[in-house]
Formats: sequence, structure tokens, C-alpha cells
Amino acid sequence: MSVGLVGCTGHAATDASPSKPAVIPAGDLADKSGTLTPSNPTTLSVYIESTHQIPAADNKLTKLLQDKLGVTLKYELVTPENSDQKIGVMLAGGDYPDLIGTGDLKLRFIEGGALTPLDDMLKTGKYPNVEDYAKPYIKQMSYSGAATDKGLYILPNYNRFFGDVTGGTYYGPAFWIQKRVLEDAGYPDLSNMTVDKYFQLISDYKAKNPTTDGAPTVGFEAPAPTGSEWILTNPPAMLAGSPNNGGVIVDKDNHASIYADKDTAKNWYQSLNSQYNQGLVDPETFTLTNDQFQAKLASGAVLGMQDQGWQFGNATDSLRSAHKDQYTYVPLMPVNDGATPYYADRAVMNINQGFGVSSTSKQKEKALKFLDMMLSEPWQKVLSWGVEGEDYQVGADGKFTRTDEQRAQSKDLTWMASNKLMALLDMIPKHNGTFSDGNAFSPDDQPTEFYATLSAYDKSFMEKYNKKTWMEFVNKAPENPKYYPAWNIKLDDAATQANQQLTDAAVQNLPKIIAGKTSDFDKNWKAYTDTIGQIDVKSYEDAINQGIQDRLKNW
Amino acid sequence: MTDATVSTYANAGGPETALPLATSSRASKRKARKIAAKGPKRKITWDRVWAQRALLVMAVPLLLYQILFKYVPAYGWVIAFQHYRPGRGNVWNQQWVGLENFRNLFTGVNGKQFRNVVLNTLGQSLLSLIVGTIGAIVLALLLNEVKNFPFKRVLQNITYMPHFLSWVIVASLAAVALSLPTSGGFINQGLMNLHLIDHPILFLTQPHYFWGIVAGTNLWKELGWNTILYLAAITAIDPTLYEAAEVDGAGRYRKMFNITLPGIRPTIVVLLIINSGWILSTNFELPYFLGNGLVAQRAQTIDVFVLHYGYQLGNYSLAVVAGIFKTIVAIILVGSANLAAKRLNQETLV
Repeated sequence: MSVGLVGCTGHAATDASPSKPAVIPAGDLADKSGTLTPSNPTTLSVYIESTHQIPAADNKLTKLLQDKLGVTLKYELVTPENSDQKIGVMLAGGDYPDLIGTGDLKLRFIEGGALTPLDDMLKTGKYPNVEDYAKPYIKQMSYSGAATDKGLYILPNYNRFFGDVTGGTYYGPAFWIQKRVLEDAGYPDLSNMTVDKYFQLISDYKAKNPTTDGAPTVGFEAPAPTGSEWILTNPPAMLAGSPNNGGVIVDKDNHASIYADKDTAKNWYQSLNSQYNQGLVDPETFTLTNDQFQAKLASGAVLGMQDQGWQFGNATDSLRSAHKDQYTYVPLMPVNDGATPYYADRAVMNINQGFGVSSTSKQKEKALKFLDMMLSEPWQKVLSWGVEGEDYQVGADGKFTRTDEQRAQSKDLTWMASNKLMALLDMIPKHNGTFSDGNAFSPDDQPTEFYATLSAYDKSFMEKYNKKTWMEFVNKAPENPKYYPAWNIKLDDAATQANQQLTDAAVQNLPKIIAGKTSDFDKNWKAYTDTIGQIDVKSYEDAINQGIQDRLKNW
Repeated sequence: MTDATVSTYANAGGPETALPLATSSRASKRKARKIAAKGPKRKITWDRVWAQRALLVMAVPLLLYQILFKYVPAYGWVIAFQHYRPGRGNVWNQQWVGLENFRNLFTGVNGKQFRNVVLNTLGQSLLSLIVGTIGAIVLALLLNEVKNFPFKRVLQNITYMPHFLSWVIVASLAAVALSLPTSGGFINQGLMNLHLIDHPILFLTQPHYFWGIVAGTNLWKELGWNTILYLAAITAIDPTLYEAAEVDGAGRYRKMFNITLPGIRPTIVVLLIINSGWILSTNFELPYFLGNGLVAQRAQTIDVFVLHYGYQLGNYSLAVVAGIFKTIVAIILVGSANLAAKRLNQETLV
């Protein structure tokens, strides 16, 4: 079987017309153009950066791909934590799989020549779904730097919206707090939240409950795992009422500057320092790797942390599947005096993150056709909802619904391994928003589904606050600034190095500042700002400001 | 290696070393050895080459291998003088920038960091080397004194087992061992039970422990393995020496110090010389797996730094500059260690 596959793909490399007459299967999942058919099977190698596992051997969607398109995917999965090294090694080797699904903000695949510009291929008109996806936003999606040819290389994986945007779960940045803490405090008012009130809630609860399921209760985590150092470094910006722009705060004149050495940072780390000395911050927090951090959250012992919702999704899933909803988190929005919370933003397109076709692929047409098929509404529904009749039902009104059993199994990690393609779904371009028939892209975004999947605990919790979704716990997102967000502006070499040095300075100094004696705070803080002073911060800020100006002009 | 050094090496534990018991004859022995080491210079003639043709032919593939895989790839060093971008075909189709990469690495913020990581690398390696060598020699001496053969074998096997564990596992074990008692940190638990400390120490958050942790973990992992060579050297010592010493009334410790140790001295020196070449290259895994922001000041080594600022930022040129630096320093280190050994009248590598 596999020998046959390899033989066929070898032919297809040079010859676009199938070596055997194509037999197109029935149904709207089939490729009507006859490029991808079971009669001429295709094996595509795929590189994906994802925390998900390779699907089980008997996965039902893997089989569906083979039955309808004749496509077998050969996965190469790398966790985002390890992707930095992997990318360096891949570029040095110069040989790439057919499809590259990456989240690399340094654009090394594009600039290293690993990806193919798709513009000319799209002009052939053979890829209507990709065209439909990219056309309105082609300027944002395209690479505009100077290191290689300009053009469309990567189809963004998230937040290119179609139709209405729905959804009840909040994935953005927040100061998270466990539901049991609020429950215990008698569901206090959450508006006008401050850092002091936040820590008060946590310390009150911790004093009453020193252990959780036998393990010591942890007040607050502030880890800086490799690749997610922003967990430690971003809070000052949020507290200052700035949306998530990465390492900078952008003022109303659209001028960006770093905040790591400013007062908002100093105040935050000073209060964290005093909380640390009162025993509220986990002493092990700075040595945690991402896995250990997730495991700690999943143990249910951690009362609060500042993080972005998507970053600890796995921990939340695992708590839910263990029916420990009181240990899951609610987003809070503390701010400095005089600032207005701007935590939630309008979801921004994940430009430069997603799938591209590699430059060394011997079957570029087939690879792009595969992305094209995956972008078609029928396949999007399969990837996101599953198989009709098995994983969801279509009501008389055309709305998708699920039974309790289907909902329960959709959160079961073992079931997912055999019935979902989670890693592929992570990186594939998505029909976020709603489909043409009015159903939401994913079950979580379907308003009726969202409410129905809430546990009894969550429902009563929300009733106490008189809210219907988790989204309502954060600010209503205003229209994004035109340049937004600054964190995905591509930096030049000098700026990249300065950025890395800033991160290193933070990771090396902040733990000392936080874990140090309260009386040493000023000394430690000065050491940190002195270090920052030696770094070429200007080149970093200049690159960001340049990017902002470019975007204001061109987007 | 010349024939002369080979023969002294082979004879190291031989009759000559019988003399040290009588300390007065040490000087004359040294003189004798010096003459042996220099030896009469043999001329290379075509006759000799012809006579050794079989050996020379056999050496050719190895020579080619060395040239092909060790010297030819060094042309990649040109990357150090370029603004290298992958995906441009070959290394000649690149932008030349002169010494800019060297300036970037050795001056400014990077320069400060780089000096620090060189210091860390040297510190961790030297400490590991010293602790490791002394530990291995002591264990070898002790094992040699164990007369119960099965027990000796079991002991030896147990001590060298950790050598076969991968560094990832060893680093995780070390991280757990050094953590808080609630996370399984038995070292803290033990210290507290012995009332040596009142509060658990967060070893992996204190920079000044880090070199010691590296040396200690290295010792734990490689101790048994490193004794193998020493034990082998000890077995090569002529048993008649011990018998003679016994007749002269020497006890166990006397024999250890005056026969065994001098007997394995050439092995110790040669191993030290060989290891000195690795000093800048050996420490990657532990600092990488155990290092974190808090201890970075003492933990980050050259290889970890190069990984962060070279490969991960896509700055291959910087990585190559660091590689050249390491190579040059390694050559100097091996050369000077060899020279020092020669000065001290010890066995040398070349």
C-alpha cells in the first residue's frame, strides 16, 4: 500500500494530469477537480507546531481523508516550546515537508526560503476556497519585508472571520482567579478591580484553605517558561490599560515604547515582591517549565495567575473532565488607578501563523489543493464539528446540535485521538465566525451549544453574576486600532537581538526582584533598569514604530 | 606518538616504577626516562617507507576520513564573515560584512554576556573535571582494595550504570532531588532530618550553587564509568612490586600511595590532557535543562548562549563566530596542557 502511494506521488510531481483516470467519489467532500482522488492516492508530509498528539492509528477522519481525497498525512509534530530549535535545524538542512504549519513570529521559514509564494498559483483559479479566504485581506496576510520576495506565503490559522462573530469563551489575557475563591468570598463585585483587591481575595482564601486535595494551596504563579516568557513580562501593560501589544505600549499618537522599565512595571513587580514575601507566590514558580506549569494548574491547587486564556486550555480541559469546575478560572481585569481595562480586544487575524506550501515540495499543486479542500465549508465542518449523525445532528431549522453524550466525548482526550485531527485543526486556516448556513464554526462558538455544555456548577456561577458567557466578565472589545497588534510586527536582525536581550534581562532579573527581600527591591530594580539601559532598545522601538507606520499607510 | 613514548607508556607500571620506594633514586630514574623519551632520531628513508607500505596503505582511508569530515567542512567558517541567510543556495551567494559578527559577539551587551558564559563554561567544566578525576581515582583505589571478587563486580556495575542514562533523565532526577520536600526533594528532606538546615533550600534558584550542582551531577553520572580506565591501568601494575613492598613491610596505605598511584600516573596525565580539549564543549545538557532565569548568571554556558542567540534567532553567523572561538581556545588548552605535562616530565599526548 505505502509503496504504491510513494510511486504515485513521484509521478504527480512532474505531471499534473493523473496517471490513472480519476474516479471522483460522491459527496461534497470530494475534490471535483480530480486533483486529489482515492484512485490516485497522495501522501503529504506535514510539519505542525502544536501541543496536540499525533492522531491514533484508527482515527476516523484520517480514514475519511483517504476515502474521499486519497490523502495520507505524514505528521511531524513539534511542540511550540521546541519549535525554535527545530526550525533552525530544518533551515540549516534545507529540506522541508510538503506543508509547513508554523507559529513562528520571526518568519524564519519565509525568510529562509522554505515557503513558496502562493500568488501565482492562486491566479490560475484552481483554488477557489483559498482565494475566497485570502482575497479581502491579502495585504495583511502577505509578507512585505525585504529579506525575500514579497507575496502571500502563509494562510493565517485563526480569526479570518466569516459572517457573524459568536462565542462565549474568553481566550485573551486576564488575571485569572479560581471560581471557588469568588464563591467563598460570596461572589464579590468584580468591577473596578485592582491588584490589591485581587491579591486580597487570594490571600483570604489561602488563609482559610492551606491545602487543596492534600497538596499545599498556591496563591499565585508567575512563571516564565521558554517561549511564553510574556506570562511574566506582560502584566504591567494590561494594568496600564493597554491592549496586548507585546513588549510595548502604544500611545494615542501611535508611538510605541517599551514599558519594562516604566512605573507601571515597577509598581506591579513591587507588589508581587511584597506578596512573595508574604508567601502568596509559589517559590518554585520561576523554575517551572511549561509542562510543569500546566500540570500545576491541572492539579487545581493554584488560585490565580496572569496568563492568556488559550495558553492553559489543556489544564482547563483536564480539570473539567475531572468534574472539578470549581478549580477552573474566571478572568478578572485589575488596572492601575485612573486606567480603563482594555483586556479583551477584537480577535485579530493570526497573520504569519498558519499553513504554507514548502519550496522543496515536489507536489505543490496537490499540497495547495489539500489546503483548498480543507478550507471548503464541508471539510471545515468535518474538522471542527465532526461527522454529521455521529458527532452532531442537524435540526429541522438547520442548526447543529449535540447530545450530552456527544458533548462529553468531545472533551475526552482519548476519544479525540481517534475521532479528531486536533494538531491539523490547530494550524489549518479556519472559517472562524459563521458558516453560510448560520452555524458557528465550532461547537464552542454556537450560542446554544455553549450554554448547554456548561456544567451545573458553571451555570449557577454565572447566574450569581447575572451573566451568560465568560466573555461578559471582561470588557467589551472596542474597535481595534488600525495597526493592531504590535506584537506580530516583523523585526529586523538588530531589533530581534535587542528583543531577545530584553527578554533575557527580564527572565534573569525579575525573579530576583520578586523573590528578593522587600528592602532590596530598589537595588534590584535599579540593576534591572541598568541592564535595560545597556541594550539597544532604540533599534527595537524603531522597528516597531516603523511597522506601525507601514501598517497605518497600507492596511 | 613516537615509538619511544609508546614504550615508556607501556612500561609505565613496569620495573622502573619499582624504584620510587627508595626515594633517593628518583632523580636518576627521571634522567633515564628523559633519554629514553628523546631516543636516537631515526631517519625516514624510502626503504623504510617501502618496508611499512602495508601500514601506510591502511592509514590512507582514515586519513581521508579525517580530511573529508574534519577539515573540509571548515570552509563553512566563511559564514562568520557574512550576513548569512539560509535558502540562498550556497555560502558564496551571501552578503559579506567583514568583522561585524565578531564585534557583535565580543563587544557591548553580547560581549558582556559572552565573557560571562565563557567564565561559566570554564568554571563548570574545570570543577567537573577536577571533582570527577579525583572521585574516579579514589573509587578506583578503593575498588582495587576490595578483595571479595563478586562484591567488587557488583559494586562496579552499580556505580557505572548511571553512565547509560540520558542527560534529560539525569537532569530531571537532579531537579527532583534538589526541589522542595513536598515535590520529592529528598536532599532537602535529608538535610532537614539531620537538622543541618531549618528551611528547605531552593537549590535551583540560587546562582552560587549551580557550578556545584553541575559538578555533583556529573560526578554521580560518570563516576563509575571513569574508574574503568584507572582500574585497567591498575591491573597492569606488576604484582611483584606489591609482593616486594610487602616483604619490606609496607601496609595497605603505603602500597596505595607508593605503588598504585605512581603506577597510574601516566594514565591520569593523558586523560587530563585529552579532557582539557573538551573543556569548552562539554557543558550543554545540564545548564540547558536545569538552568532558568534566576541562575542564568552562573548557569548559561557558551553552547546554551549560542543556541539562544545564534540558532534560535536565525543568526548562524554569530554561532559560527562562537564556534571558531571555541576551536581556537580548545587548541590552546590542549597545547598548553601538553606542554605543562612535558615540563613536569610526565607522559604526553604528542
